Amino acid sequence: MAESPATQHIELDEDHAHLGTGPIPAGPYYQPEYFDLEREAIFRRTWLQIAHISELPEPGSFIVRPVEIARASILITRGRDGEIRAFHNVCTHRGTQLVSDDSGKRSLFSCPYHMWTFSDDGELRSAPDFERFYVDKSQCSLSKVAVDVCAGLVFINLDSSPEQSLREYLGPFAEELEQLPVARATTFSEYTYEIEGNWKLTYDNFQENYHLRFIHPRSGEAANGPQNPFGYPIRYGFHGPHRTQTIWSNPDARPKPFQTFGFMKGAEFAIKDGFGASAQGKEYYAIFPNLFILGSPMTPFSQSVVPISANRSRGIIRMYWIGEDDCASRRFAREYAMATARDIHSEDRAVIQAGQRGLESGALSHIHFQSQEILCRHLFQEVDKRVEAYRAERDAARAKA
Amino acid sequence: MNTERNLPEGFEQLEPYVESWSIAGAANRSRRRIDSSEQERVAFFNAAKELAGPALALLDQKPLDQLDDRETRLMNLILSLAHVSLAVEIQGDDEPKHAKNSRHITITRASSDFNA
Repeated sequence: MAESPATQHIELDEDHAHLGTGPIPAGPYYQPEYFDLEREAIFRRTWLQIAHISELPEPGSFIVRPVEIARASILITRGRDGEIRAFHNVCTHRGTQLVSDDSGKRSLFSCPYHMWTFSDDGELRSAPDFERFYVDKSQCSLSKVAVDVCAGLVFINLDSSPEQSLREYLGPFAEELEQLPVARATTFSEYTYEIEGNWKLTYDNFQENYHLRFIHPRSGEAANGPQNPFGYPIRYGFHGPHRTQTIWSNPDARPKPFQTFGFMKGAEFAIKDGFGASAQGKEYYAIFPNLFILGSPMTPFSQSVVPISANRSRGIIRMYWIGEDDCASRRFAREYAMATARDIHSEDRAVIQAGQRGLESGALSHIHFQSQEILCRHLFQEVDKRVEAYRAERDAARAKA
Repeated sequence: MNTERNLPEGFEQLEPYVESWSIAGAANRSRRRIDSSEQERVAFFNAAKELAGPALALLDQKPLDQLDDRETRLMNLILSLAHVSLAVEIQGDDEPKHAKNSRHITITRASSDFNA
């Protein structure tokens, strides 16, 4: 494997112009045709985070997760041999969805229609009256999906032979993610929202700080200050399609008394769990296409922005914990951290939807990103590059046919 | 009038808040905050904020699955305080606007819901 190039960093006041300055077309943020291209160009051939390893705690554990944009349902199992495997949740007889439960523990999966029964390694174990078929059982295994785990995060790739391994895909970020609480987590808290917003428009909200002082005037107070009125990051980092920002926080911020109490409880357990100050503690990773991970051990969250249609998405936010709540103070610290993060996230939804409505009117042919919205520009560039490449590939295949 | 004690000794000041704020389940506690009036929130916050430390110090003496009914009520009260404190201390008079947005964010799982 070739060594992965290092992350390219840009400091706050450095010139960002080499990453582009031009306006960005508005259509890709609402047009169904563009969404259809993204399905093929990105979501059917890119590593997608779909679960956490703690959801498959022991041999026999399984989960079923939808990938709406690909109209797919994925069955992920931990076999008796401990191995994680993923399959299309589709019976190979006549295509019926095999498992209807979201999760459970079982090593055999029987299709409700005609009782074809598969083992957790995907092989067809038994099928009633099978002698009457014109096929061998060995040709009827469940359709495999590429799966791999990094930092406890379970990724799948719907491309049957992915171009890169997950580690190659994540590059230097793989090792950094491995240092975070998510990598050692055994459980998590979760909150979700449905939004009438394109996945990129929704995602972009969470990778620019220009809006913080207007949308989060109270909950985001510590994120800006007179020295940095918009709370712009200290620096940006880029690796391939992925990016990161190093978060700035106001050293003169004065947390409120109960807030201090809540944070101190959180800090106490972060330290007990072995997470002191670290290089990753202020990093906010944006893993292409649709995952965020915050490095802070105090607020160890991920957010997946799941595309549903051109103008609908779902946000899934998880906060990762090491061990179950083992005492009242830890339980309180986790509840306070979750409620705090949830408050901030809840303030964004309405304004993202307003953006979607504005764009869908067709009033604008283009939108504009300033230098401190560079991560939004980078996402669009990475998406559009893939969409254009797919378009060319499709057109070439059509011309050949 | 019901004079039976609902909370461990030393937390009598919080007895009037048990019925409204001692709530099992993180999603239920979050919803209660959103549905409450400013008057209710401020009264509970002011009564409870200085008692959170002593309450956790008491509860920390036992494993969570061995808390008795009074202690469990106190635990749930302090967990509600986590939500209510954000409304009173951080959001202030922005809370009604905040609550409108907050309704769309659903807690689907919380560590406090396990072994509760």
